[in-house]
Amino acid sequence: MSQKCCKTMNSSIMKKIFMGISGLLLCTFLIGHFAGNVLYTVNADLFNIYAHKLVTNPLIYVAEAILIIIFLAHVVTGIRLTIQNYTARSHKYYLKVKTGRGSTFASSTMIYTGVLILAFIVAHLINFKYGAYYGTTVDGEPMRDLHKLVAQFFMIKLNIGWYIGAMVVLGIHVSHGVWSAFQSLGLGHITYTSYLKVIGKIFAVFTVIGFSAFTLYALIQGGY
Amino acid sequence: MTTSKLDSNVPSGPIQQKWDQHCFDMKLVNPSNRRKFNVIVVGTGLAGSSAASSLAEQGYNVSAFCIQDSPRRAHSIAAQGGINAAKNYPNDGDSIWRLFYDTVKGGDYRSREANVYRLAQVSNNIIDQCVAQGIPFARDYGGMLANRSFGGAQVSRTFYARGQTGQQLLLGAYSGLMKEVSKGKIKLYTRCEMVELVMIDGKARGIITRNVINGKMERHLADAVILATGGYGNAYFLSTNAMASNCSAAFRAYRKGAYFANPCFTQIHPTCIPAAGDHQSKLTLMSESLRNDGRIWVPKKENDTRPVSQISEEERDYYLERIYPSFGNLVPRDVASRNAKNQCDAGRGVGPTGLSVYLDFRDAIKRDGVDTVKAKYGNLFDMYERITDENPYKVPMRIFPAIHYTMGGSWVDYNLMSTIPGLFVLGEANFSDHGANRLGASALMQGLADGYFVAPNTVPNYLASANLQEATTGHEAFGEAEDSSKKTFDKLLNINGKKTVDDFHKELGKVMWEHVGMARNEKGLKEALKAIPKIKEEFWQNVKVPGQNNNVNLELEKAGRVADFIDLAELMALDALKRKESCGGHFREECQTKENEAKRDDEKFCHVSAWEHKGEGKAPTLHKENLVYKNVKLTQRSYK
Amino acid sequence: MGGLSDKKITLNLKIWRQQDGIADGKMVDYRLNDVKTDMSFLEMLDLLNERLIREGEDPIAFDHDCREGICGACSLMINGQAHGPEAETTTCQLHVRKFKDEQTIVVGPFRAEAFGVHKDLMVDRSALDAIVMAGGFITVATGNAPDANAIAIRKENAELSMDAAQCIGCGACIASCPNAAAMLFTSAKVSQFALLPQGKIEARERVRTMVEKMDDLGFGNCTNEQECEATCPKGIKITNIARMNREFIKSLF
Repeated sequence: MSQKCCKTMNSSIMKKIFMGISGLLLCTFLIGHFAGNVLYTVNADLFNIYAHKLVTNPLIYVAEAILIIIFLAHVVTGIRLTIQNYTARSHKYYLKVKTGRGSTFASSTMIYTGVLILAFIVAHLINFKYGAYYGTTVDGEPMRDLHKLVAQFFMIKLNIGWYIGAMVVLGIHVSHGVWSAFQSLGLGHITYTSYLKVIGKIFAVFTVIGFSAFTLYALIQGGY
Repeated sequence: MTTSKLDSNVPSGPIQQKWDQHCFDMKLVNPSNRRKFNVIVVGTGLAGSSAASSLAEQGYNVSAFCIQDSPRRAHSIAAQGGINAAKNYPNDGDSIWRLFYDTVKGGDYRSREANVYRLAQVSNNIIDQCVAQGIPFARDYGGMLANRSFGGAQVSRTFYARGQTGQQLLLGAYSGLMKEVSKGKIKLYTRCEMVELVMIDGKARGIITRNVINGKMERHLADAVILATGGYGNAYFLSTNAMASNCSAAFRAYRKGAYFANPCFTQIHPTCIPAAGDHQSKLTLMSESLRNDGRIWVPKKENDTRPVSQISEEERDYYLERIYPSFGNLVPRDVASRNAKNQCDAGRGVGPTGLSVYLDFRDAIKRDGVDTVKAKYGNLFDMYERITDENPYKVPMRIFPAIHYTMGGSWVDYNLMSTIPGLFVLGEANFSDHGANRLGASALMQGLADGYFVAPNTVPNYLASANLQEATTGHEAFGEAEDSSKKTFDKLLNINGKKTVDDFHKELGKVMWEHVGMARNEKGLKEALKAIPKIKEEFWQNVKVPGQNNNVNLELEKAGRVADFIDLAELMALDALKRKESCGGHFREECQTKENEAKRDDEKFCHVSAWEHKGEGKAPTLHKENLVYKNVKLTQRSYK
Repeated sequence: MGGLSDKKITLNLKIWRQQDGIADGKMVDYRLNDVKTDMSFLEMLDLLNERLIREGEDPIAFDHDCREGICGACSLMINGQAHGPEAETTTCQLHVRKFKDEQTIVVGPFRAEAFGVHKDLMVDRSALDAIVMAGGFITVATGNAPDANAIAIRKENAELSMDAAQCIGCGACIASCPNAAAMLFTSAKVSQFALLPQGKIEARERVRTMVEKMDDLGFGNCTNEQECEATCPKGIKITNIARMNREFIKSLF
């Protein structure tokens, strides 16, 4: 019984389901992250309070743990898929040409864009979560001045450049990922598949423009 | 001439009760004993797959063999139109009796009444079985099965799955086969060619096969052998058959004593895409339904090479509409085919080779609009354009008849057993149900009737009563059969001549098409009987078969088949010469009515011609099974 | 408008030659003159083979049978694409007129871990039979069927089922998939039965056993690249894959 269960969990479709669910959850995280970023443009204190409340809430550890699990599941499954898919055809083609009617740049580069995103996230955590500590006091409560850190970080144009670059990579990744996740979860349909693809693309454009806008906003606003 | 072995074993009693009574009278094998019997099935088309799975379901051990890489590739897959059954769902007056009657009449009164009645009887069970297997037949909006009228039938009795009915039925039978393979009741041998039949004590007890991948010969022992290896249309080189379709299994059984019946009964299909040149490897059929809306014509002037647009209406001869005003373009297959040949012979053929006639949709498009025509025939038009690079919406299609189906085959009795005890022959490989001409949508019906419902009843009856002795594959009969086929392969490999196998096959095809084709006459047939032995002689001295017998050697496979085709071709010509009447697909120019219709001679030829092999180099003996019609009145066909 | 012509061209062929399943293979160059543009691609190979035989060389082995696009026997990677460059066209229905004079054409076998090469361009695709054997059928013994019209089936479902059932089992979906996944093939069979009431009884077991078999045979995982759909000579849609995923999820509960 357990063996059978293990087999089911390891099956190709199950892996795709993991990939799809974790991917979609990460997309919802992106939306949450975006909402947080919006506060940056509203008011520095508000942004700092939000950040402070987020990190001082004891539930943050649970949330972070879940996020890490989802993220690792996505990464590990993605790597496993890639390795298995590579070995599914050990004798490579002498010549292989795409039909031009199926595979897209995004769909064929998922593992590469994925690895770049992973690298970006590590850097992103180092830049901000583990970046320089500036203190501030809001309504008498001492807290980290994350707003200042962000503002200073994006004063450097190179940072803006590679952050926007990373967002483009992320956009490419989700432009295939969102639709692909729905397909893997069995939601493809003769009529609705095309809508799903459009939704995926809109989401991708939103991700690129939305997140990039913050960096430019930070630059225009200037540092302290 | 004798009738000794030719006991049709048709049960007595009224025709409606024969099969049921026979089923009751036949011996049964106790369910627990069935696993002790082994049955070999050669061929995995409709008949083979369905027989193999049905016998395995009953509990027999079945070994199934096919030459393709998968049973699903058998040529049944290419049938387009549909499958007949006497369901009478449309309430338009159909019945088992009518289907029986139409089939006997369509076969021009050269089939065995009792067999045909049984075919009509079980036709309904076939549809039930296929639907239960998950075959997605066409349906109407209420969810019920749709029917259409096919091949000029007066009732709508044809079930269909788009233009791919054969494919769907075969995949259904194949799925049943694979179900039993997964249970271990069928052992499946793919890429395996039967090269010899093995007989012990005068009974079929096994086969020798050659593994196509490594050339290994294998011995297979069984209690009964079923051949379901299809027809022999490729004797003509160009036909609508698949490249691997061949007569070898049935013909090697013939050499071992299984009589071959009515070899000259071949069917020509009128709406095929014409050959483009000498390089043509096979012909492609387009559904006959095209004749419902397309109008067939040729230019009135001989050798008129002007483009269609320059030929005015008055200069066109819609010859079928002219000669057959009441049936017009919908005359039966053989009539349409012969008329096309006549036009081309008279120099009015069109296209680069002059061997085609126009099938024009201009008027249909004008009348119904492009969209309607596209909805009906879109996929056929696309196929035509892909092959010819001509757009049939703009210029008329060009069509020409091609060999399509062979009604003749191994002689079998009512139980589908050949003259060799224990050797059963099903589907197109036998001669049984279509007489001298097959109705449209009846081939699929017969294949599945034989495989699902007839053989699974008659083969056990044989097993229960045969009293077979114990044997092993070490028996000397296996040794002899293996040695002789090995010798044949070695011989072929060692000739090392100048001409390729295809050279000979094309040469044979030309002779056959010329003299044993759509219209035959004594002079031509005699010429063919002179030409074919010459081809044979040269073949065995001058063929070039490269490679060895221990590896994939497609030329060696082909060579063995062509050698058999040459011998069968001779038999076909001989049979055609002896049958001095016209009936169905067999048209003797000497025997025609004033209106150029086929004229039967029921006095002299109301019989099955079954040929017995008398040994290499000796003339075969003709045996006759007289056909008695108690239920059907013999009439002369007229389509005027 | 095209139409038949006497045009002849010269082709430079690069063809994979491999003696048997164990031997190493290599690409071999052939120059073929006087190729009529009205020839089918396989007739062009026939022409080359006839020449090779006359020259005492081993002809090229390739799978083919019906030559009318329905049996699924023909395969070949032609200039890097399964069944060549034309959409919804099998190799046997591809014609030389689609190529140019003096064009180089690279011809190789379908590749996947689950497919072995028997010889030259001839490939072992029995893995597809193994997938069908794992559950690609409805368990109904002969004689066991109710009247064909006893169960009404919605026309739309029957049509969708037929769309999926048209699969010819050629394996082009696998050959063209960057991952050598067999999802389109497997899902076509699963879909055909999932859409029909007759197939629903065994639906859970069917999808599980077929997917399990597909994985065991060493086919890759689907990453929704859609090359399978793009290359399928019968136009089978990846919505069938979504349906199989759905069936798989349903089978978990």
